[in-house]
Amino acid sequence: MKVLFYGRLAETIGPELEIDAPAGCSVAELRDRLIAEHPQAEQPLRARRALACVGDALVRDSYVLKSADSVEFLPPVSGG
Amino acid sequence: MSVSARLEEHALRPEQELAELIEQATGNGAVVSFAGIARSGSKGGQVVYRLVLEHHPALTLQSLEDIAVEAAARFDVSHVRVVHRFGDIAAGEPIVFAGAAALHRRAAFDAADYLMDRLKTEAIFWKREIGEAGSSWIEPTEADYADRERWG
Repeated sequence: MKVLFYGRLAETIGPELEIDAPAGCSVAELRDRLIAEHPQAEQPLRARRALACVGDALVRDSYVLKSADSVEFLPPVSGG
Repeated sequence: MSVSARLEEHALRPEQELAELIEQATGNGAVVSFAGIARSGSKGGQVVYRLVLEHHPALTLQSLEDIAVEAAARFDVSHVRVVHRFGDIAAGEPIVFAGAAALHRRAAFDAADYLMDRLKTEAIFWKREIGEAGSSWIEPTEADYADRERWG
């Protein structure tokens, strides 16, 4: 499964990882695994206003991932 | 009704955006616009040379369009225009233009205010300040989120 990162997450982890996630893994479980492997990214991954997307649509923590999904983790956004 | 939202990689000229909005809005009584400019100083008082705005290939423009459409639906305005820079922006350069036209001023003021409160907190960008103190990520403040919450 491809996992993409932006902003400070891309700076900390890198822009992209290939992860061998088990079938039925949720966004929350994937996040826990990423934090276990990249503890320095815990704060931006757990930020209250961080977002997760699949197929350019926002998904909740309970969303169950398919192996073909690309998951994107977005740290808090800021325009203007 | 005309709603326009776009991303600009290079120069953004607020005076040109405003002139086009006024020309489009013929027959209206009010045009309100806001231009956001890259600051030359950080919160801590250090010199900032430039901002770097990273964006998402699909979601960033979508977020600008959603905010512009929702402003047009919420207020009694005839035109909404949003233009946002991305990439490297030198201190002193415009980052964002938000404008609205309406028959009467109150709706145009409210729409411009609403546009900026939502853009600050919901437009999909990641912003870094580069200056004498190095590089630091800039996220909305609690005041920015409180401003956004005023609109429900």
